Amino acid sequence: MNVPHYWYNINVDLLKPLPPPIDPYETDSRIALLMRILPSELLDQEFTPLRYVPIPEEIRELYERMGRPTPFKRAHGLERALGNGIRIYYKFEGALPAGSHKLNTAIPQVHYAMRDGAKEVVTETGAGQWGLAVSLAAALMGVKATVFMTKNSYLNKTHRVLFMKTYGADVYPSPSELTRYGREAIKSRPDHPGSLGLAITEAIEFTLGGEGRKYIPGSVLGFVVLHQTVIGQEVLQQMPEEPDLVIGCVGGGSNFSGFSFPMIGARLRNEGFEKTRFLAVESMAAPKLTSGKYMYDFPDTGGLLPMIKMLTLGHDYVPPPTHAAGLRYHGAAPSLSMLVREGIVEARAYGQEEVMEAARLFARTEGIIPAPESAHAIKAAIDEARRMPRDSVIFFNLSGHGLLDVDAYSNTR
Amino acid sequence: MEIRRPGIGAYVTATYPSKNDFLNAVRCLSEVSDFLEVGIPTNNPKYDGPVIRKTHFASELKGLDAVNVTRYGKVPTILMGYVEDYVNNLELVIKTASEVGASSVLLPDLLFEHLDKLEEYVMAMRNHSLRPVFFISSNTPHRLVSVLVKYEPLFIYLGLYAATGIKLPLYIERNIKEVRKLVDNVTLIAGFAINTPEMVKLVIGAGADAVVVGTALVDKLTNQRACMEFMLSLRGGLP
Repeated sequence: MNVPHYWYNINVDLLKPLPPPIDPYETDSRIALLMRILPSELLDQEFTPLRYVPIPEEIRELYERMGRPTPFKRAHGLERALGNGIRIYYKFEGALPAGSHKLNTAIPQVHYAMRDGAKEVVTETGAGQWGLAVSLAAALMGVKATVFMTKNSYLNKTHRVLFMKTYGADVYPSPSELTRYGREAIKSRPDHPGSLGLAITEAIEFTLGGEGRKYIPGSVLGFVVLHQTVIGQEVLQQMPEEPDLVIGCVGGGSNFSGFSFPMIGARLRNEGFEKTRFLAVESMAAPKLTSGKYMYDFPDTGGLLPMIKMLTLGHDYVPPPTHAAGLRYHGAAPSLSMLVREGIVEARAYGQEEVMEAARLFARTEGIIPAPESAHAIKAAIDEARRMPRDSVIFFNLSGHGLLDVDAYSNTR
Repeated sequence: MEIRRPGIGAYVTATYPSKNDFLNAVRCLSEVSDFLEVGIPTNNPKYDGPVIRKTHFASELKGLDAVNVTRYGKVPTILMGYVEDYVNNLELVIKTASEVGASSVLLPDLLFEHLDKLEEYVMAMRNHSLRPVFFISSNTPHRLVSVLVKYEPLFIYLGLYAATGIKLPLYIERNIKEVRKLVDNVTLIAGFAINTPEMVKLVIGAGADAVVVGTALVDKLTNQRACMEFMLSLRGGLP
C-alpha cells in the first residue's frame, strides 16, 4: 500500500459553513499577526476550497521513511478477552518514531516553514508529544527547533526533554528568561509551574523577536486537522469492512478528526458509512465536548491568536492534573465542534482511573502500552463492545504509545 | 437592478465620519463606481478588520437611522448589516432597504452563524421585490453554494480573506476559480483588501465579475478628489 496522495478537507462537505476567525476588539489584529508568525502555505490551507489537497512528494517521502502507512490491526487479544463476537480494529500511530500522530503535521509544517526561508521553527509543548515530533521533523529537514515546555512537565517528563535534545532541539522550561512574558511571570511568581497558554505566548514572542523564525502549532487549527487526515485516508484503503462505530480521543481534536473525517466526509456525501456511529472521547479534566459552550474564544490562554468559534470551556480554564496531559485543553477544533453540535459525532468524557484500567487490559491482551490519552479511546471501545450486538465492528485510533508515560502506569496493580 | 459585469463597487459605512461627509461620498462615488455597498453601523462589526471597524464605531448615526439619511439608486446600492443585530427583525432591515431605494441586503453572518434564517431572509426579500445576495468564504461547503445558486441571487459575494482589509498569503486566484465553478452563471463579486489596479485585474481575470473596495477608501472619504482619482485608478484594472 502507498502513502496517500491527498489530505482531505472536510470543511467543504460540512452541513454548515465554518464561521471565520475573528479579531478581538481590544487589541491589534491577531489575524494580521498570523502572517508574521506562521508559514504562509499553512494559512492558505486553512481556507482552501479544495476537497482534496495534494500532499507534496517530499512530504510523502518523509511520511514513508518514518513508517507510513502505519499499521491497521485487528485486536484479536482484546476481542478474546471480551468474548462476545465483536470485531475490533485499531490504527497504530504510536508506530511512528516520535511515538504519536503528531509527526503527521510536524513534517509538513516544518517543510512549509523552510519554504518561507525559515532557519528555525519555534513551538510550545505540554506533555511533550508535540515538541518531540517537531524536534524530529526539524532534525530530518536540517533546521533548528526551539521548544518552550511548560515548566512542570519539563521537570517531570525528563525522558521527553532528553529525547528532544537528542534530536538537536533547544528546549526551555516555560516561563523562561528568554522573553518579556516569561521574565514577568517569573518575577511575579518565582516558582511558576508554567501553563500551555504561557508557553504559546513565549513561543510567539520568541518567533517575533528574531530573523528567520516561524511558529508552528500542534492542534486545533484547520491545517493541523487537514494534515492528520493522512491517518483516515490510509484507513479507507486498509479497512477490510465498514465499521459500526469509530472512536478516537480528543485533546484539541486533531487525532480524532484526522482518523475519522475521511469516513465522516464519505457519509456526508452519501458515499458510504450510513450506519456508522462516530464517538469522540475526552477527559473529564477538560470536558469541552460534553460541557463546553459553542462560542468565539481564543485557542490560546494568552489570547495572542485570533478567536475561533468552537466548543470551549473558556481560554482561561485551568484543567486539573491528569496523566493524559495531551487532553488538558480547553477547546476543540471548529470543524469537530460543529459535527458534535450537529449530532454527527457523539461525545463522552471519562475519568482517569477507569481509563488506566482499560489501558492495562489492552497492554496485557495486545502487547502495546498505550498512551494515557489514547487509552480513552480504548476504554470507550471496551464499553461499547460490551453492549453492541455480535458481529458488530469497531475501529479506534491508538494515537500514541505510552512508553514515556511512566508516571501514569506507576500505580499499576 | 443588475450589477454591471465587469464592475467595481465602493464600500462606505453610513454616516462615517459624519452625515455630510457620507452624503458627499455617496454622491461622488456614484460617479465612479458601478455599485455601492453601504454598511449599517454596528457595535459589533465582527468579520471586519481594524480599519472598517473604526468607521462603525465613529459613524455619526447608528443602526438603520444612519442609512435612512438619503435615497439611493443612482447606481445599484446594497445595504450590509449583521444578522446578529436584527435577529428577530430581519423584516425591518429589508423594508428599510426597499424604502431607501437599495437593491439588496447583504448579511455576512447569515450563512455562518444564522443558517436557520436563510429561508426567512429569502422570503422577506421576495416580499419586498428584492433579490437575495449571499456572502461566502473560499471554504464554504459546496453543497450549500449549490443551494444558494437555486435562489437566483443578484450576486454571491466571496470574501477573499478572513477579515476586511487584511491581506493573507492565500492563492486567491485559485480560490476564485474554484468558487466560480460552483456558482455557475451567478454574478460573483469579490472583496477584502483590494487596493491596486493590478489586484483588480487579477481578481477579475480569475473569474470574478466585480470587485468591492472598502478599507483602501476609508482615508480618502473626506477628500472627493482623492476618492475619485483612486477609484478611477482602480478602474484601470478592469478589462
